[in-house]
Amino acid sequence: MSTTLITPSTSIAPSRPKLTPRQVRRRVGRGVLLFVMILVAGVMLYPFVVMLVTSFKTESQYLIGHGSSLQSWKDLNQTLPVGQELLNSTIICSASIFIVLVVGGSAGFAFAKLQFRGSNVVFLTVVSAMMVPLQAILMPEFVNMAKLGFTTSYFGAVIVYAALGTPFSIFLFTTYFRRIPDELIEAGIVDGLGYTGVLTRLIMPMALPAIATVTVLQFIQIWDDLLVGLLFLQNPSQRPITVGLAALAAGRTTSIPELLAGSLVSALPAMLVYLGFQRFLIQGLTMGIDR
Amino acid sequence: MADVVFERVSKIYPGGSGVPAVNDLSLSVADGEFMVLVGPSGCGKTTALRMVAGLEEITDGTIAIGGTVMNNVLPKDRDIAMVFQNYALYPQMSVAQNMGFALKIRGVAKSEIAQRVQEAARILRLEEYLDRRPKALSGGQRQRVAMGRAIVREPQAFLMDEPLSNLDAQLRVEMRTEIARIQRLLGVATVYVTHDQTEAMTMGDRVAVLRGGLLQQVDTPQDLYDYPANEFVAGFIGSPPMNLILANVDEEHGVLHARFGDQSLLVPERYRQTHGLQQWIGRQVVLGFRPEDLMADSSMSEDLIKARVDLREALGSEILAYLAITSNTDVVLDALPATDAETVRKRSRVVARLSARAEVVEGGLITLSLKTDNLHFFDPAGGTSLRTPTS
Repeated sequence: MSTTLITPSTSIAPSRPKLTPRQVRRRVGRGVLLFVMILVAGVMLYPFVVMLVTSFKTESQYLIGHGSSLQSWKDLNQTLPVGQELLNSTIICSASIFIVLVVGGSAGFAFAKLQFRGSNVVFLTVVSAMMVPLQAILMPEFVNMAKLGFTTSYFGAVIVYAALGTPFSIFLFTTYFRRIPDELIEAGIVDGLGYTGVLTRLIMPMALPAIATVTVLQFIQIWDDLLVGLLFLQNPSQRPITVGLAALAAGRTTSIPELLAGSLVSALPAMLVYLGFQRFLIQGLTMGIDR
Repeated sequence: MADVVFERVSKIYPGGSGVPAVNDLSLSVADGEFMVLVGPSGCGKTTALRMVAGLEEITDGTIAIGGTVMNNVLPKDRDIAMVFQNYALYPQMSVAQNMGFALKIRGVAKSEIAQRVQEAARILRLEEYLDRRPKALSGGQRQRVAMGRAIVREPQAFLMDEPLSNLDAQLRVEMRTEIARIQRLLGVATVYVTHDQTEAMTMGDRVAVLRGGLLQQVDTPQDLYDYPANEFVAGFIGSPPMNLILANVDEEHGVLHARFGDQSLLVPERYRQTHGLQQWIGRQVVLGFRPEDLMADSSMSEDLIKARVDLREALGSEILAYLAITSNTDVVLDALPATDAETVRKRSRVVARLSARAEVVEGGLITLSLKTDNLHFFDPAGGTSLRTPTS
């Protein structure tokens, strides 16, 4: 009996179907897009990578280009009260965002669902305040806070941040709440809730995307802010991390690794908050686009 | 358990044109009764319902539930439960939580809430869905959850605002019987709003027809169909609607006739008494007859109506024939005018409901006989029925 060797040319395996020109174009397009996205991601991430790697070097290791050490982190902790300043930033952010959410949520509900004379005019007035930059009101704001004695406590900075963030918060919540059917609110009223109950037990639990959007955007803005912290927190023990870092850069140290360690400490919380809430953030920012 | 009584209730929205959305409505819903409010869009039926719920202020008159006037009572204190058109389920809560929410707000014990929710779920066949969120339910299931939310409250009255409008036709038929069954089981006074006259006729113990904020007639479904109080009710109740024709009443050799266009119809003598036609001789009236009272007739009798078939709709069990009975277009009326003014939109066709085996050809001629047992006559000026109260 003769046997026939199966060679590749005589293989019985099914051959791959040929791609159509359209499929080829699509694959090439996807490849190009992927390449561009990797490039952009690389450009965006490069500074963070440099920051991270350099912060784990001493100055001499940084100058020679290799080696790693925790020394810069230890130096940072000795130069700056990092823990205290992080705590200060957290307190200021938390208090400001809480006020922004409470005021924004309540006002948003009122504008969206309660009928009262002049509501449109009031809403437009509040929303137009978004266009007023901090720098334009900084001096009168400082004079007011100083006269009220609020520059020696967290209160002054919290009030200023809350005032700056509330118009946007009101705008976002109003837009979000307008999409909620009136019947839902009426069902709550018939079931036994007052308007406060409707807001706190029905509406706000449904508004997670809006809450997340406001929280993330305000957190990033407040955490990374220098100006308000510098002016309205005169007490050194209440300084936020950004002010501490500015002081560090202004002369307390010339060590690049130490400075970058400080920058990383300052940037990390905002990044983590964004990453944690990004799903809700995208929902909140894109609501209304499909209508 | 209680009754619901409207006593000369009116509603005028501030800042509007001053036209009442509900105008001097007096109506009572007995304990355990299923009352349907029906009418075209904008007739005031939903406004009336919302005033019972306390979601609209009452401009004038009073609404009482269980003998207690509710005008200044908050919705939560009226002991009513409402089912909304769009269900209004709380999306962040499960079915069980939705159903028990009102009881939770009132501080009812958890064990009792659980028991009542279970009982309502059993009645509505929702036991296996109690842990699901509303978005994981079909339209019919959501509607049952909305009903369940109302049932657990054990209220004095149910209020339902077009709860079946968002369901497909088949589901609507299914839920119609379900709602009627549950209402009979619980025996709670129910006010049900719909624009669908089929729902009204099949579900209600009594039906109140509204138009332009005014109550036209309240009666049992059959009496509404057989004895409409005016042209509007005649044309609104029944599908296809009643045919309404301007006719001249005259008398020939002592026999009453109704003449329209070039056709003539012999009117039985009894209508002289029942509808007071004696004083209408020589005058114009509106003659009404139901589509099913027309029958195809191939005999050569002079009393037949001759018509041309403009349109034929075969429904399987019957044929709807749209007929031109006269070339005079000022004869046939539409009882549902296009605007609130009394302008009457004229059409030239009547509708006949014929047997599926009738010979009906579009464009062809047909002769029909009309059963004269159920003729209706209306005053052409105001539209009111000419039927005398004792007949």
